[in-house]
Amino acid sequence: MSLSAARPVITVYGEKNEPSGTTCSLPAVYKAPIRPDIVSVIHHEIAKNHRQAYAVNQDSGHQTSAESWGTGRAVARIPRVRGGGTHRSGQGAYGNMCRGGHMFAPTKTWRRWHRKVNVAQKRYAMCSAIAATGVPALVMAKGHRIENIPEVPLVVSDKIQSYNKTKEAVILLRRLKAWSDIEQVYNTKRMRAGKGKMRNRRRVQKLGPLVIYANDQGLTRAFRNIPGVDTICVDNLNLLKLAPGGHVGRFCIWTESAFKKLDALYGTWRKASSEKKNWNLPQPKMAQTDLAKLLKSEEIRKVLRAPNKKIYKAVMKTNPLKNTRAMVQLNPYAVVQKKNAELLAAKRLREKAAVKAKKAGQKPAPQPNVKRAAALAKKGKAKKGKGKK
Amino acid sequence: MSSEIAWAVTRNNSAYLLKKRNCPKPFSVDPFNLTNKNSFRYNGFLHKKAVAVAPTADKKGVTLTLKKSSRSYRPGQRYNRSDLKKGARVVLTTIRNTLNKQRYRKDLSKAALRRASALIRAQKPLPPRKGAKPVKKAD
Repeated sequence: MSLSAARPVITVYGEKNEPSGTTCSLPAVYKAPIRPDIVSVIHHEIAKNHRQAYAVNQDSGHQTSAESWGTGRAVARIPRVRGGGTHRSGQGAYGNMCRGGHMFAPTKTWRRWHRKVNVAQKRYAMCSAIAATGVPALVMAKGHRIENIPEVPLVVSDKIQSYNKTKEAVILLRRLKAWSDIEQVYNTKRMRAGKGKMRNRRRVQKLGPLVIYANDQGLTRAFRNIPGVDTICVDNLNLLKLAPGGHVGRFCIWTESAFKKLDALYGTWRKASSEKKNWNLPQPKMAQTDLAKLLKSEEIRKVLRAPNKKIYKAVMKTNPLKNTRAMVQLNPYAVVQKKNAELLAAKRLREKAAVKAKKAGQKPAPQPNVKRAAALAKKGKAKKGKGKK
Repeated sequence: MSSEIAWAVTRNNSAYLLKKRNCPKPFSVDPFNLTNKNSFRYNGFLHKKAVAVAPTADKKGVTLTLKKSSRSYRPGQRYNRSDLKKGARVVLTTIRNTLNKQRYRKDLSKAALRRASALIRAQKPLPPRKGAKPVKKAD
């Protein structure tokens, strides 16, 4: 995914999910770096901007003329309500610990509700969000059911901009195989957990596809009653819609003219944006992000040393004094020495036995290998006297 | 975008992520995941080439699905499905040969075989329990 990579060609699909014959090349925004951290932060900042103020009534807890009784009256020194004749008289007032007092740190309407976000940051986040909608893995990971759609990004011919009937819109979504995402929306319709139920936020559902158009000739009206579907004009792209929740990868359906406007809106690296002042696409930190490709590339391989494929097996240490092979590795003559020692010992034993046998008047045991030795000696003599042990 | 970037984005939040109590390593619900573990290697939705092994609709065998690496941006066209119903040994050999001989994600071949044999074993009727009355297969 290098910056100057050739941009693939996207087929525009007609209403019946057949390639309509036209194609466009992928706008460069789709190769912008995907930065979920930036998108998340900027999304949360921007989301603060349509908050409505809430605050506690500023008079709460102060609508009394309570005054402390001071010391000496065997009561706590909290201000107490004046007067008599009612339960309220003499009760503590004003403090956050008092019943009917103000709260701790009463909320104020002049809390800083909105956040100013730098334009460049907002645009960066938008580029990332748009780029992420072009990666099928990310769109699927967001939860959209796009297993059967023809292509990502999904671009449809401009005819849908003049749809007026919801029926036509539904047929289009079915034909594009995007309907399974809408079915998921139906399946996730449920009641909100928590107090939001009582605060006009009763129902909750998943978000479906976002239809992005250039020219609204009825499209919004056709799509607006389909649950989960949002529509937006390409000139007013909204991060809150493209990365809902701060998570990238919403399923987007573009009309052809909207798709073609993206290059002019966000620029290509070669050419700055014509619609936005002083804006060009953000530079990625890595031109090539595919790790497997990098590891196999010539440039990297050239600099590496050859791999050490030799396996060093751990050798168990053996004691030469106990293990003959280990001894022989160190001292090859040890074999001879040992053999000689053996023979010598055997010889001495035989001599002892012979003495004993003589004393007992018996024949001594025959020497071992005598026959063999004799036979070999004969052979040796035949072979011109090669001596034998 | 490369699968590494997709992994960096989705390793901690995705629709496929499944975290459960007392399980330190999260699971993945991705159908293209052979071990259901949430890891870079096994999450098939991230990669250009992925393998899925699932039971067939009629519970008779196993469907082996491979992703076609050439059509990675066309979700509708990018799967090669084959139903394997012959019998355990044939199924397993087919899977092994498809993956190894075509060099298609050889690192997944063991996992694919394990999953297939687990599925096939689950499809066999349970052996009758000794001593008790014949128990109906809990399907």
